[in-house]
Amino acid sequence: MANIKDLKQRISSITNTRQITNAMKMVAAAKLRKAQASAVNLRPYADETAKMIQTLRAKQTIIDHPFLSLRPKKEKILLVVLTGDKGLCGSFNSQILKKTESFLKKHPNCDIISIGKKGNDFFKKHKANVIDTFTGIFQELNHKLITEIAQELEHKYLNEDYKEVVFIYNAFKSAIESEIVHKTILPVANNDELEVKKLEYLYEPDEDTIIEELVNKYTFIEVKRALAESFAAENASRMTAMDNATENASELINTLSLEYNRERQASITTEIIEVSSGAEAINN
Amino acid sequence: MINVKVILPSGIKIDQECDSCIIPGVDGDFAVLEGHTAFITKIRPGLVTIDVKKQSTDYAIHDGFVTVEDNKVTIVSERIEKADEIDKNRAEQAMKRAKERLAQTNNSEIDFRRAESALKRAITRIRTSN
Repeated sequence: MANIKDLKQRISSITNTRQITNAMKMVAAAKLRKAQASAVNLRPYADETAKMIQTLRAKQTIIDHPFLSLRPKKEKILLVVLTGDKGLCGSFNSQILKKTESFLKKHPNCDIISIGKKGNDFFKKHKANVIDTFTGIFQELNHKLITEIAQELEHKYLNEDYKEVVFIYNAFKSAIESEIVHKTILPVANNDELEVKKLEYLYEPDEDTIIEELVNKYTFIEVKRALAESFAAENASRMTAMDNATENASELINTLSLEYNRERQASITTEIIEVSSGAEAINN
Repeated sequence: MINVKVILPSGIKIDQECDSCIIPGVDGDFAVLEGHTAFITKIRPGLVTIDVKKQSTDYAIHDGFVTVEDNKVTIVSERIEKADEIDKNRAEQAMKRAKERLAQTNNSEIDFRRAESALKRAITRIRTSN
């Protein structure tokens, strides 16, 4: 049977833990609000840009642009994996890494760009072919940094033997749910989900100029979208995980307090019995 | 009636019905009325004018793309500013600064393209707020 002192100590330590998890939950919730807004607000913009490219593509039979034409002869894939910089967010990181692992099994010829500390640690352990890493960039998504990443991807795609550039990240769905997205960024894939009207469009100045400009924007927007979605999903996941942890701690404190009170009562009862039986022994 | 939608990275800024709107395309300003043909173009810095029942509202726009289809105008841009949101003094100062930078033709440290687009932005803002 547990001793009263031990119980008391455990209760106080769990209370401390609960305070920490509760604080983390609050912080994640505050960050989530901001991250969610920026991820959700960006969606129509990103979708509309992608839609314009699809529209142009639907019209022209052959578009001669390196970002739009497939490269069937090549094999190597440039994989961009987005994880969080921190843990304690449920299955957020492990799910992404599990998905990445199965992807790597299917396509062993991959170079990896890892964004987020958790991914870096994982790939180091597994000796994967990481060519570049970024950490600590989610807090402040600035224009310059996103441009840098987008340009690096474009540059590598153009100058090296990559068949495609693939992103794997968590997309924000709701506070309790996220969805793993696995998306080919380059070459710009045909997306059937976007509703493209088959109309005869007029273009100014001309198709080629417009598509050039749109495609240049596209990579930037997709990188931004991936970063924003991932950060929102991470905070949502952390909020839920910490909420569960707080709840579990409260439950544990309740059961332990019950046990503690029972023990205390039992010891008092024994003491009373001892005293009264001692008194009886003297009286007799 | 036509529907005008302006989509920015920070969300959908304008989504309204209007009688007509004027948009600065790269090859010249164009007005969209009901029944306009399907059309895609790039936007140059300038004024977007939206008319509802002869009441017109001006906006400053600096870049982006526009699609016209089925009486729907969709503008995708980094930024759009309503006339009364513009700080005219700030724009005038920015114009002065940009002009000064552009005047220093022998200084190789100056990024002329940046200064030029800053000047264009400032001029568009001043025009819109007038």
